[in-house]
Amino acid sequence: MLILGIETSCDETAAAVVSDADVGARLRANLVFTQLEEHRLYGGVVPEIAARSHLERIDALVAEALREAGVDFADLDAIAATTGPGLIGGVMVGMMTAKAIAAVHGKPFVAVNHLEGHALTARLTHDLPFPYLLLLVSGGHCQLLAVEGVGRYRRYGGTIDDAVGEAFDKTAKLLELGYPGGPAVERRARSGDPRRIALPRPMVGRPGCDFSFSGLKTAVRHALGKLESVTPQDRADLAAAFQAAVADVLADRSARALARFQAETGQSGPLVVAGGVAANATLRARLSDVAQAQGTELIAPPMALCTDNGAMIAWAGLERFRLGAVDGLDFPARPRWPLDSLSAPTASTPAATASELAS
Amino acid sequence: MPNAPFTPSPVLAFDCAGSSCSAAILVGDQVLAQRFEARRRGQAERLLPLLQECLAEAGLSWTDLGRLAVTRGPGSFTGVRVGLATARALALASGLPLFAVDGFRLYAAMTTHSLPEATRRNSALVVAIDARRADLFLQCFDAQGQPLAEPQSLLPEQAAARLPAGPLLLAGDGVEQLLPALTGRDYQVVEGSAAADSVALARLAANLPLPPAGSLPPTPLYLRPPDVSLPGKPRA
Repeated sequence: MLILGIETSCDETAAAVVSDADVGARLRANLVFTQLEEHRLYGGVVPEIAARSHLERIDALVAEALREAGVDFADLDAIAATTGPGLIGGVMVGMMTAKAIAAVHGKPFVAVNHLEGHALTARLTHDLPFPYLLLLVSGGHCQLLAVEGVGRYRRYGGTIDDAVGEAFDKTAKLLELGYPGGPAVERRARSGDPRRIALPRPMVGRPGCDFSFSGLKTAVRHALGKLESVTPQDRADLAAAFQAAVADVLADRSARALARFQAETGQSGPLVVAGGVAANATLRARLSDVAQAQGTELIAPPMALCTDNGAMIAWAGLERFRLGAVDGLDFPARPRWPLDSLSAPTASTPAATASELAS
Repeated sequence: MPNAPFTPSPVLAFDCAGSSCSAAILVGDQVLAQRFEARRRGQAERLLPLLQECLAEAGLSWTDLGRLAVTRGPGSFTGVRVGLATARALALASGLPLFAVDGFRLYAAMTTHSLPEATRRNSALVVAIDARRADLFLQCFDAQGQPLAEPQSLLPEQAAARLPAGPLLLAGDGVEQLLPALTGRDYQVVEGSAAADSVALARLAANLPLPPAGSLPPTPLYLRPPDVSLPGKPRA
């Protein structure tokens, strides 16, 4: 089975071809064009710039992905695209591209929730059986979910204000470390002392699995305001203090979620981390400690599959399609589309055959 | 050369850049299928089904087509992108040549087609396109259909001050917005020109020369940069 996956929901234009072969032979092509430079000047993703950029590149990127995979449109079993959640202008570009290809070649179109792409990546890379606990941490999302099956998610908690990646970006802006904030803060934190400046640990010790990061960002601002003149070492110490606080928060919330997961499923884990923030080595190490302390392990997909990519969309499309899911070419783009609102594909919606779709 | 100009092969044309979603299939002068829906939203949901309905009505499949045509704006940024993303992917997937026509040229062609030469002879044509805000997109053409200036994004009063002297023909889905600024001017609104016409688009595209092999795919005409301001110095 071969699936084309298209992702355009934020600032990465991506196309991939993925198969259901054994782990290791699944990624036939996985191309990502990052718009980083187009947004850097603005210190964040500008939706209209992102949408324009997706349109400029997605068709050529799809052609290149097929070439690299050594396949033709006719060889594909289905076309998958992110249809939300995300920046709607960009989502529409990828979605229409996928629908048009599906229409011309009479192939099934599979609408993929971007978050489900992240959630199922550990199955693409590790063949991980259900259930598992997922910590999804990115620029736009921060949540803990029990993943019980394709389309079956139980939300344990999420952020009540900023996403964690957003907190990194805002902190980097305050510290004038550049964009994107995640790698910038991590780099600067290496030469900093995380204990010199005390920052709060929002939500730590509280019941439940929710997060809050806006207070932490405010605390960074206040700490900066108290300094007479801000030296490079101050910035490094604050970056390190911020990162350590985030690590403590993620560790505390994940430990709680693991306890609940154990109580509900009888399984101690595993804990899967996904999303761009999973690229941070300090956070990964900390989460790995949490998992080990609870008798389980941390599973983190390789970096290129943690940040936005087409392979995860193709894979989520593949998982849905092989359970019978096919979506109409009238499927709407959804700016908001919580994971726990999805439902599992059922046999009552059997995959239409190519000939039915071609008519 | 099956796709050479003037060789009748079916043209599938569509538009969703403005306040409607429309499609048509033409062979020569014959309209095989035509759809028009007034809608300012929902193009991403309706467009592909609309195209499939046209193909079904014409009794054609994608492989029977000779050309694709789409409007490239200006209009709603999202509408323009939905149309062009679809058109570019259809072209990639089918190998068909794609012709993208800007809205000004399309309305000018609609005017030429619908009005007798005698009516057009002494008038300049003003094409006004809805920009979904205070200003509108404007381009003027002489009586021979030659553009008088580059298209612009202007407030109605600014636009009125720049119009050519003499009698005017007005076309486009932004005309209504322009009218209050035209007090005292001698003008005539071109009938049937309040929405892009996919039949006219197909007719235009059928007669355009094929782009040279290896040409880059057509690009949108936004006429306005993204709304964005540079960030100030962060508060600290």
